[in-house]
Amino acid sequence: MSAHRCAATTPRLTTLPGEGRCAGRNSPGRTGRRGLLRAVAVIAAMATALVGCAAAGASSGSSSGPLTIGMSLPLTGPAADVAKSGYQGYQLWAAQVNANGGLLGRKVALNVLDDGFDPNQTGTDYTRLISQEKVDLLLGTFSSLLNAPASAIAARQRMLYVEPSGGTASLFTRGFTNLFFAQPGTTETLPNLFIQWFSSLPSDQRPKTAAYLTQDDPSASPAVEIFKSRLQALGVTKVYDQSYDPSTSNFDSIAASVVRSQPQMIIQGAVGNDGAAFVRSLEKLDFSPKIFFQTNSPADDTYPDTVGMRNTEGVFSSEAWSPTASYGGNADFVSTYTQMFGSPPTEDAANSYTAGQVLAAAVRAVGRVDQNALADWLHANTVNTIVGPLKWGSTGVPVGDGLLAQWQNGTLQVIAPKSTATSDTVVYPKPGWSN
Amino acid sequence: MIDLGQALIFGVLIGGVYALMATGLSLTFGVMKIVNMAQGAFLITSTYLCFALWQHFGLDPVLAAFLVMLPMAALGLVVYKLVVERLERIDPGLTIVATFALALVAEAFLALIWGPDQRETNPVYSNQAIHLGPLVIPLAQFYAWLLAIVITVALQVAIKRTWLGHAITAASENPEGARLVGVEPARVGAWIFAIATASTAFGGAALSFLYQFTPDTQDFWLGLTLSVVIVGGLGSVPGAFAAGVMLGVTESLTTTYLSVRWATAVPTLLVLVVLTVRPQGLFTRMTRQDVGS
Repeated sequence: MSAHRCAATTPRLTTLPGEGRCAGRNSPGRTGRRGLLRAVAVIAAMATALVGCAAAGASSGSSSGPLTIGMSLPLTGPAADVAKSGYQGYQLWAAQVNANGGLLGRKVALNVLDDGFDPNQTGTDYTRLISQEKVDLLLGTFSSLLNAPASAIAARQRMLYVEPSGGTASLFTRGFTNLFFAQPGTTETLPNLFIQWFSSLPSDQRPKTAAYLTQDDPSASPAVEIFKSRLQALGVTKVYDQSYDPSTSNFDSIAASVVRSQPQMIIQGAVGNDGAAFVRSLEKLDFSPKIFFQTNSPADDTYPDTVGMRNTEGVFSSEAWSPTASYGGNADFVSTYTQMFGSPPTEDAANSYTAGQVLAAAVRAVGRVDQNALADWLHANTVNTIVGPLKWGSTGVPVGDGLLAQWQNGTLQVIAPKSTATSDTVVYPKPGWSN
Repeated sequence: MIDLGQALIFGVLIGGVYALMATGLSLTFGVMKIVNMAQGAFLITSTYLCFALWQHFGLDPVLAAFLVMLPMAALGLVVYKLVVERLERIDPGLTIVATFALALVAEAFLALIWGPDQRETNPVYSNQAIHLGPLVIPLAQFYAWLLAIVITVALQVAIKRTWLGHAITAASENPEGARLVGVEPARVGAWIFAIATASTAFGGAALSFLYQFTPDTQDFWLGLTLSVVIVGGLGSVPGAFAAGVMLGVTESLTTTYLSVRWATAVPTLLVLVVLTVRPQGLFTRMTRQDVGS
C-alpha cells in the first residue's frame, strides 16, 4: 500500500477514482490485476512524495505542522480512469486552501492511500489513516462501494466523513451522524427532475412504453427502479426490463432484444462505458427512441467521441454540477483547474473539490478540529459550494435534487432546475442517429 | 424466427471475434503446451499499437495490424528466447509464473505510456451495419469475423502444408522423435511463439474498434480465450474457431431467450461441461500422452 503525504501545493496527475460515475466499469476485464497498477502508482506516489512533500515538514498529528487530511482512493484498478480528475479536484482544493493561508493557520497536507478499488482495502486504509497515521481529518473516496466501509470506520472512530460520491440510499440508513454527502442529490432523488419534466408533457405527447436496462451497480440500479415505478404510475408500460453484469462487453444482442420490444423511451442505468457501448449497438440497429435517459455515462469525457458527437443530441442524463453554473467560486474553479491540469474539470473533480469546500467551511466556522462539533455545525448550517448551497438532513443526505442535463448541440446542457439551467429548451423527441 | 436468425448472426459474428482473439493462445497452449499467461497482455499491446497508428497516422486498425504483427513477432521471439526457453529447461511449470509476471510488467508499461483512460478507435464502419430485411449485420463484427476466417485458414494451411508446420506438429507431438529427424524443438518453439504473438495483431485490431480498452482489459480476454482453447481442444486452430463461434452463439441465445445476466457466465459453464464430459476438447481426438516424454 502506498502512502504519500504532501502539502498539495504541487499538483500531480495520477490515476484516481471517481464516482458519481464510476463503480462498476464494463470494459472487458476491468476486474483484475489491481496489484500491478497499484505498484505503478506506488512508484508514482513515491516520486511525487519526494517532490511535493519536501515542504510538508512535520508529521501528521502535530499541532504546528500541516493539518493532515487522510483519504484512500482507488488510484489503480477498474475505476482509475475516471478517478484521475477526482483526485485532481482534491489537489486543487488543497492548493487553493494553502495559497490562502491554510486552515486554522496550518497548511493542509493530503495523506493519500491507494485501495485499488477494493472495499476491503479501503477499510484497512481508513483504519490505518486514523489509528496509525493519526490524520487530523478525513475526506471520502469514490463510489458507494468504497464509501460504505470507509464511512462505517469513520463513524466507529467518531471522525467526520464528507464524501464526494456514494449517493446510494443504503449508505444513509445506518444511523451515522458524521456522514455528509457533498452533492446536491442522491441516487434516490436522481429521477425527480426528469419525472417533473415528463409530467409536464401533454399526456398525448408522452411516450407510452419504456425499456429499462441497468448495470447491476448500487449507483445505477436503485435509480432505475425508481424511474420504473414512477413512470408506471404515470401510465408508461414496461416492455423490457433487464439488468446486466458489470463485465458485460457485448451489447448487440441486448440492443436487439430492446429494439424488438419497440420502446418509445429507454432508461439505462449506465455508469461507465456501458452507456456508450449500448448507444453504439443501437446505432448499428438504427433504432432511436423518443426519449433516451442514461444515468451517468453521458457525462464521461470519452462519451461524445465514442458514440459520435452528433449522436449525443437529445440524450438525457443527471449531473451534480455544471461548469457554467453561476454559484460562487465555480467559474474560478473551472478556470484554475483547466490552467493547472490542462483540461476542463469533470464532475468527479467538482465533487471532490466540493467535499473539500464543505470540510473547510466547517473547520473555519468551528475554529478547531473537534469531530463532533464539526458534524454538529454541518447539520445546522448551509454551505455555499460550487454545486450550490448544500444543506443536510440528519442522516447526511443533502436536501435537494441534482441537475437534469441533456446533450444539445455538442454540449451537455443543464435543463433543470430553472435556477441553474444553461438551456431553456428541451430536445424532444430525440433525433435519430447519424452514422 | 427473425429473433432466432438475428441472435444467430450476432452469435456467429462475435464468436468469430472470440476465435480471432484466441488464435495465438491456441498455438502456444495447444501446440507447445505452454500456458502463456502473457497472451492477454500481448493482445492488448497489439491493440494499443493499432490504436497509436490510427490516432497518429489515421491508419485503419485492420491495415495497422499488418504493421503491428512485425514488432509483435519480434517481441514474441525475444520473450521466448529470454524467458520461456530457459525456464522450460528448468521446470515447465515456471513458465506460468514467468509469463504472468510478464503480463504484469506489460500492463504497467501500457499504463505508463497511455494512462488508465478508456481508448478506442472509431473507423467509419465501427457503428455501421448491413440491413438484410429485418436482419442486421454489424460491419465491424463482420470485418473482424472475416479476419478470423482468414487467419484461421492461413494458419491451418501453414501447419498442414509447410515444412515449418510439419516441424511444429512433430516437435509438439514427439520432441525426441523430431530431434532424431533434424527438427530442433527449441527452434520450432521460437517460431511458434513468434507466430502466436504476431497473430495477436489482428485480434488487437478488432478489439480496438469493437470495444473500449484499458491496460487491464487483458484479464478479461485472457480468461475468455482460455475458455475458447479449452472448449475447442488443445492444438486445434479450427477447433478454436468452432469453439469461439459456439461460445458466441450460446451467449447470444442466452441474452435473447434466457437472461442478460446469465450471458457472461456462459463461457465458464461451457468450460465446466466440456472438462467434465470431454476433457480433450470438443474438436480434438484423445491421443497418447506418453509418446513424447
